[in-house]
Amino acid sequence: MDEVVKLQLIGLSVVGTGIVILLLIRAQFARVIGFVAIVLGLFSLVALSVPQMASLPPAEEKFDIATVKTPTDMAAIGQKIFFSKGQCALCHSIGPSESARCPDLKGIGAKLSREFMFESLTQPQAYVYLDYRHEGLPKEYPARMPYINKNPIGLTKNEILSVIAFLQQMSGEPISVTPSELEVPGQAPAAPLKTAEAAPVAVAQAR
Amino acid sequence: MRHQGGFIQRILQTFNGHGGWLSGLVLAAGVFALPSLGFAAEGAATGPVEYRDIPGIGSRNIVWVIAQLHLLLAGFVLGVPIFAWLCEIVGWKSGEKRYDKLAKEFTKLLTSSYATTALFGGILLFLLIGFYPKLMNYLTDIFFPSFVFYCILFLLETVTLYLYWYGWDAMQDGNKKTFHVFLGFLLNLFAFFIMIVPNSWATFQASPVVIAEGTDLQRAWAATWNPTWWPVNIHRLIANVVLGGYICGAYAGIRYLAARNTEERDHYDWMGYVGNFIGVFGLLPLPFAGYWLMREIYQYNQQMGITLMGGFLSWLFILQAMLIGVLFLGSNYYFWLGITHRIPGSENQYKKPIMTMLIILLLCLGVWMTPHSLVASLEEARKMGGTHHPLLGVFGVMSAKMTVANLMILVTFMSFIMYWRAGKHETATWAKVARSVMGAVLVLAGIAVIVLGVWGYFVPAIIRINYFSTSQVLIVLFVMLTITPLTALLLKSAKTTTEMVWGRMPPRAGYALVLNAVMVILLMTLMGYARSSSRVHWHIYGVMRDSSQYAFSPALGYAAAFMALNTFLFCMLVAFIFWVATMGDKGKAPTGSGKGELPRGAMPAMAGGSQSLDTKS
Repeated sequence: MDEVVKLQLIGLSVVGTGIVILLLIRAQFARVIGFVAIVLGLFSLVALSVPQMASLPPAEEKFDIATVKTPTDMAAIGQKIFFSKGQCALCHSIGPSESARCPDLKGIGAKLSREFMFESLTQPQAYVYLDYRHEGLPKEYPARMPYINKNPIGLTKNEILSVIAFLQQMSGEPISVTPSELEVPGQAPAAPLKTAEAAPVAVAQAR
Repeated sequence: MRHQGGFIQRILQTFNGHGGWLSGLVLAAGVFALPSLGFAAEGAATGPVEYRDIPGIGSRNIVWVIAQLHLLLAGFVLGVPIFAWLCEIVGWKSGEKRYDKLAKEFTKLLTSSYATTALFGGILLFLLIGFYPKLMNYLTDIFFPSFVFYCILFLLETVTLYLYWYGWDAMQDGNKKTFHVFLGFLLNLFAFFIMIVPNSWATFQASPVVIAEGTDLQRAWAATWNPTWWPVNIHRLIANVVLGGYICGAYAGIRYLAARNTEERDHYDWMGYVGNFIGVFGLLPLPFAGYWLMREIYQYNQQMGITLMGGFLSWLFILQAMLIGVLFLGSNYYFWLGITHRIPGSENQYKKPIMTMLIILLLCLGVWMTPHSLVASLEEARKMGGTHHPLLGVFGVMSAKMTVANLMILVTFMSFIMYWRAGKHETATWAKVARSVMGAVLVLAGIAVIVLGVWGYFVPAIIRINYFSTSQVLIVLFVMLTITPLTALLLKSAKTTTEMVWGRMPPRAGYALVLNAVMVILLMTLMGYARSSSRVHWHIYGVMRDSSQYAFSPALGYAAAFMALNTFLFCMLVAFIFWVATMGDKGKAPTGSGKGELPRGAMPAMAGGSQSLDTKS
């Protein structure tokens, strides 16, 4: 039986028990327990009626360099990263959207060079698009693009290159990133830190 | 305890004929240790243990229940001293003994809950060390100086609480009373620090500030003063008062329902009124504190903010709206019942305003609960032209929700003012002018809140958030800060036309008080889940990743079942504690001296109060 259905049955039985207590028992404390059971059961049933979405950790896209033969293969991996581990779609849209809070990325691969895109991902404060530049006091509500190569997102260089390949492909541009640029594990610099033991993260936001 | 002792003895006696009491003990120990057979350790083969688990139950589920119970108990224990102390001051300054007695009763509930809170804190600590050794090592490394500080605070708080409670009757007169009030101040001061120190550990997990260099103290201080520390401190401080007030109200409600004579009914009716008043008093500014917290979260990290408000947790805020809406309705309903039942002859006079307020509240609740995007089938979505409803879609955005939240606060505030003024005739010469000013302030504020809300649709989000929403909050605060002192001044010289009669509330008033308490507890469990889930798959956001099998946040339905379970367990625990705390008082016959001291119907609730001690004072 589906977990939601099981929980709904439990919720219904809790509400039912509460109703029975209220109907049959005269002791005040027991009646209050029955009342509380009805309230809690109804709350659970309402919570079970809204969309049920669990938040799973992002799937690690395994980079088997040997299987990446063409730039298109890289773009396919980049597309997955764009919508999962990279969390790009949390703020950006591809095409106009009511809910997007940050620049629309449709055609971005045609507008920007791959070097500029790389810098935008790894040094996001180096250049801020005019519409998104913060005006006023420096501490006031900055809409800040995160450093994609650092935690909590922490994409590796290979993953960033794949995202750039996807952005170029999605914009109808020839993909200028090639599989030969991918770093072979063991020969490349260490991947971004994943745990505190690796090294303490430097100052975040000291006040 | 005698019953429990007898039960254990009976078990042991059962085993006497079959191998003696020792075998009974061994069997009992075996039963209690059964879960340990299932312990599983992760990472033991390759290095230091990172996680331990109890298969079947799940380490996270156990920690979830224990942490939630500890937090709710702590909220109650830290919230009650605030209003207990304020009640004592009111009694001290006004000379009305009933407030002093009520403060003492609150403190008795606090004393009996204190040990249980510490017990659950201890259990939680052991579980965390056992289940999450790697995380706890890391946190200890950073926060060790504050652990020491926390222990010292706990010692000071305990000593102060003992002195405050056991010295109550001995310190009733002159300078001794002044010293006792000072002890109450110290109790709250230490309690405040006891709250904010662990807050720094929890908020560090969501918004960490880690410095690689510096002394242990500098590292601990940098980690403590993280971006969400103070918003959470303020939010929890107010929420604890709300929780404490509504729980005391629910306690009074239950005792009122079970009351066997008029005197008891009078007592618990009054106590329920005070509890509800304290709850509403805290509830009104609470959304503002919540708004500030969310703003700080967005400021710290956009992704975390979006995960909360627009990501997988967005539906949680619809549930939050429902719970807050019911809480507002329940609190107002209790006020309205008070007006129509405690003030004879007012039923018809207040019928229209009550109906108007009810309609406004229901409309506001409807808007607040409108989701941003609807759950629709493909065909339905196609007909609507998207997941946004063509008509109701406009209510799903923040501009509308901020507006109705402010309006609901305004209506609840006016309910309270109406209750305050009921049964009194203002005699001041400037009364008419004052009433006109109050009416104008209220109407203009309502219009301004709505105008800003509608205007908010046509300006960029950053303008709305920074200026419009803040202005709405300031307008509502202005109304409260203007009308409250004006009413107090007006009623100073007012004549009482109808005396308030206690003990006439219908049984549904008691259930309304219970409902309010359940709503607050559920809200705290819900927002605890939101705070924890906003870190997604990180123990410490961006610093230490959760690599256990529980590195995911469960869906709302599953989480809600846990919230309901935790709420139920907490209610039962509190009921048990209160029952034990008042057990000794029930055997004692009420003395006559109390009656002569206080007007009938204005007697304090005797929950937890010791009659023998009370009569001495």
